Amino acid sequence: MPDRPEQQPVRRIVVVGGGTAGWITAGVLASRYPRRGEDGVTITLIESRQQPPIGVGEGTWPTIRATLKQIGVTETDFLRECDASFKQGSQFVNWADASDSDTYWHPFTLPADYADRNLAPYWLEGPRNPGFAPSLCFQTELCGRGLAPKQITTPEFAGLANYAYHLDAGKFGPFLQKHCVGKLGVTHVYDEIVQVQSDDRGHISHLVTKSGNLLAADLFIDCSGFSALLIGKHLGVPFLSRKDVLFIDKAWAVQIPYREDAGPIASATISTAQSSGWVWDIGLTTRRGVGYVFSSNYVSDDAALEELKAYLAVRGDLSPGLSFRNIPINSGYRQELWVGNCVAVGLSAGFLEPLEASAIVMIELSAKSIANLLPGCGGGMQHAARIFNDTFRYRWERIVDFLKLHYVLSRRTDSGFWIDNRSRESIPDSLREGLEFWRHHCPWHEDFSHREEVFSAASYQYVLYGMGFRTETGPWLLSDSDRNRAREAMSETARHAKALGATLPGNRDLLTRIHRYGLQKI
Amino acid sequence: MVNLVALDSQTHRNLRVAPRPTRECAEFNVVSVIPREFPRLLAHYPIFFTKSADSGRFEPAALLGFERKENLFFVNGRWDVAYVPLQIQRQPFSLIPRRNAPAGNQAALDVAIDLDSSNIQTQEGERLFLDDGGPSKFLQDITSILSALVSGSREAYAFTGRLAELDLIEPVRIDVEFVDRSEAKLEGLYWIAAAALKALPAAQLAELRDRGFLEWLYFQMASVSHVSGVVARKNQLLSGVTAVRGPEVRNAGPA
Repeated sequence: MPDRPEQQPVRRIVVVGGGTAGWITAGVLASRYPRRGEDGVTITLIESRQQPPIGVGEGTWPTIRATLKQIGVTETDFLRECDASFKQGSQFVNWADASDSDTYWHPFTLPADYADRNLAPYWLEGPRNPGFAPSLCFQTELCGRGLAPKQITTPEFAGLANYAYHLDAGKFGPFLQKHCVGKLGVTHVYDEIVQVQSDDRGHISHLVTKSGNLLAADLFIDCSGFSALLIGKHLGVPFLSRKDVLFIDKAWAVQIPYREDAGPIASATISTAQSSGWVWDIGLTTRRGVGYVFSSNYVSDDAALEELKAYLAVRGDLSPGLSFRNIPINSGYRQELWVGNCVAVGLSAGFLEPLEASAIVMIELSAKSIANLLPGCGGGMQHAARIFNDTFRYRWERIVDFLKLHYVLSRRTDSGFWIDNRSRESIPDSLREGLEFWRHHCPWHEDFSHREEVFSAASYQYVLYGMGFRTETGPWLLSDSDRNRAREAMSETARHAKALGATLPGNRDLLTRIHRYGLQKI
Repeated sequence: MVNLVALDSQTHRNLRVAPRPTRECAEFNVVSVIPREFPRLLAHYPIFFTKSADSGRFEPAALLGFERKENLFFVNGRWDVAYVPLQIQRQPFSLIPRRNAPAGNQAALDVAIDLDSSNIQTQEGERLFLDDGGPSKFLQDITSILSALVSGSREAYAFTGRLAELDLIEPVRIDVEFVDRSEAKLEGLYWIAAAALKALPAAQLAELRDRGFLEWLYFQMASVSHVSGVVARKNQLLSGVTAVRGPEVRNAGPA
């Protein structure tokens, strides 16, 4: 073994925590570096039996399909064992002005021609009916009708429309665990960490567990959730609260059974704005997950619970047996995510309100970045850390901007929550600049500087124009050929929506078939 | 339209059925087949796999034509090769779940007939029931075809399910140019992945042999040469001459 720590190869990885973050990270690393044993990589996941996973984040982004494929599970097993359903985007209700017709879509499929031309200005100069997303994305029709994004004959992980999943986070971790341990050679340890030991450079050298074992490693990944055992408690990296921008700090959550066994399953997350926050409504195969995230500065726990109950009552879903859980939400992230030989993934790194389901996608992106940046030897840690921190600070900031965008564009005046959300000092400079820019320029690829943006220009277009934002593009910047193309694209979108809508099964119907027959690999 | 009614020796005592494929057979270009008929199919038909629209599972199917509703084996009102697939022979009969089946016996099935089929007659053709109400030889044959199809379809799914697990099925594309320069591209067909078969570990090869799958798999592979026969039928129909260029049958690559 080399005597200088900088030359020590990075071969032993310890993941602390066995929730969604821990198992995704272990799975991505283990599938990426499959060589085990003496001259391979060892990956050990340690979790305490006393801390049950928190089970947040039942919504995902389409990146999850590539992640599951990379880890090596089949889509059929995943759908069956995690009670998962297909998600094709989000529907926002009552966000703009709470009028009767106040609803818009943020679908996963990109707007027509998105790779080549920006058609938004031409939709804007027209009658704007139907809305932006329905005009340029066929998927809204599928979402609106509760259809699946694929057929039973479509191969696994492929779709006729872009899709992700809603999943039961309580089942997702154990599902990945079984695969990681059984197929990928991840070592799983149930034990409690009582002490963290660092060397003279400040790198973590080993963990001491309750049962008296020493767990040494070259890289430690902190997936310990809110307790942030390594990045927070041991290394003392400060948590940067973003409550000044995102006011949500609490949630009431409840599980709603389907009224009939084979009741339809919505194929989008439905987000309905309330007096002081919004209600999520997510359909799994076995139940719905519903919850109200709110700001305790504007509404009390009791009043918020009443609002949530009213939401359920209107839909006929309020029954005496329901159990409501109160969950604190602390919006923000660590100032640094990778320090020395320790990197934080998941809730230990940060958490933001679940408005655009950013929690699991951030775990996937982190795991992928760690796998891609994995230093060959200890001396590479500092460089990898710098790149990782730059990338992920940027990503957290962009997510904060994008979530805030939903609130800033609202015209609701019915509560201090909505009015204060538009106050200048609560809006990050980067978002304010962007909004100024988009007044005369429709969001486009170059507006965002990174290779892999969590939310691309397409997402900005869907939300801006869904919320009723208007961009005035100078006529000198428009062309007849693009205008004609836009007209064609809109009628193609309508035709495609109709044709696909006629052949796709309902979300529930397809899931039932998959549970019974499975999906083919090809 | 299909008008399925369970057979009844009283109601259908005088019903007669023409014992040969009728015009309904012209309505499809692939017909689902079962492994037990592979040896006989191999004399005339290309066999591929298609995905069931209901379950997505692979099922063996004989290729009859290049366009929807084009059956090149049904010419001038008759089937023009010696062996007719069981799925055609059974027409216009099928099995339907027995009504009021006693609890616990959901699997009970009745032979049903499509009363709207053009096979149905009252003057000529085969009788279904004898004077004493017992089933005729014709109906007995039909019944055994139907039950062969039920067990055959179970076998077929066991066969293709195992092939899929072993990654031995892959998509295939068929591009044909006919004598009149018109073209056809067939998609949604699958065949045996020959390269994967060659690389199959001995233990799995032995398992396929022991389950009787190995010969079925080679029947499928050998049958592909009949695609040119089907092309020739089409060309004959178009102009009375045979093809200038053979069909291109190749791996479709990753789906």
